[in-house]
Amino acid sequence: MATTSTTPSLSSATSPPPSMRSISTSSTGSTTKPAGISYHRHFALPPPLPSVRHTHPDPFPALTVKQLAVLDPTGARTRLFDRTQPDAAKVGDVLLVTTRKGEPFAGVCLSIRHRGVDTAVLLRGQLMRVGVEMWHKIYSPNVVAIDIVWRRPKRARRARLTYMRHPKHDMGSVTHLVSAWKKERHSMRNKGRGFKGKTVGARF
Amino acid sequence: MIQLKSIINCIDNSGAALVECAMVVGRKGAARIGDRIVVVVQKDRGNADSVGVSQANKVRRGDMRHAVIVRTKYKTQRRDGSVIRFDDNACVLINKAGDPVGTRINGVVAEELRRKKWSKILSMAPMHA
Repeated sequence: MATTSTTPSLSSATSPPPSMRSISTSSTGSTTKPAGISYHRHFALPPPLPSVRHTHPDPFPALTVKQLAVLDPTGARTRLFDRTQPDAAKVGDVLLVTTRKGEPFAGVCLSIRHRGVDTAVLLRGQLMRVGVEMWHKIYSPNVVAIDIVWRRPKRARRARLTYMRHPKHDMGSVTHLVSAWKKERHSMRNKGRGFKGKTVGARF
Repeated sequence: MIQLKSIINCIDNSGAALVECAMVVGRKGAARIGDRIVVVVQKDRGNADSVGVSQANKVRRGDMRHAVIVRTKYKTQRRDGSVIRFDDNACVLINKAGDPVGTRINGVVAEELRRKKWSKILSMAPMHA
């Protein structure tokens, strides 16, 4: 009360007490103005709260890392869909998803939906002449394996290949690609074993 | 999402080829996989073998029957987060008791039938997804 009487007041005769002085927002401190006094505010302002952005940062990146440590400990699944990796699975490739329960499902990848732990891939295949599309969460514990059966020779010019639902662009059944892949994989694994034992009569 | 006036394929050997949904049993909204509907047969299977097939047909055009939906174009989500969608809508005719009218099913059916307790249809189906 006493200190404000010396300063020139622009408006009311009663000046605010020191405890209710507003905090000056101007960076330059003028010599005539005592520190912390603003002449443009004559009402009480509470002190600003600490920024929540600094005290409580976004929890989701940390949660994702924690969940992926459990769901994908080796990081192989993440690498398979990592856009920066040159040998990643891309839209247009044929993927084979093996689940814990049920038959393995193979199909063209129409879309990859990147959402952290909920990253999913849309495959379009054919089951008994009926087109079937399936979304699979890549980090799901039910998804045992995802294999690239066939790579598209040229990069697709779209990120979502929904045009492949039309008969003109529909790839149809991919079982021939899966058979070829299985055959090649088998021969690679059993190189030099010749026609012994299990390779005889092996069915693809 | 099958509702009134939806025309769907019938994939058993009962004789019906296309059926039209008239009512969804036990639900106010549209029908999903594993739901029971009342259908009217709109088209029966071709008379390529003339006499033999028409005699083997258990249903004819205009018949009203119950049916179970086994495939939908509408997405069905599963508990593990996976989603399945077929390219057509299909059903299998049943009688009021729930027993299939036909003796064989051709085509794939959805696994959702297991949860809805349609085990007879699931066992008749050559493939389920």
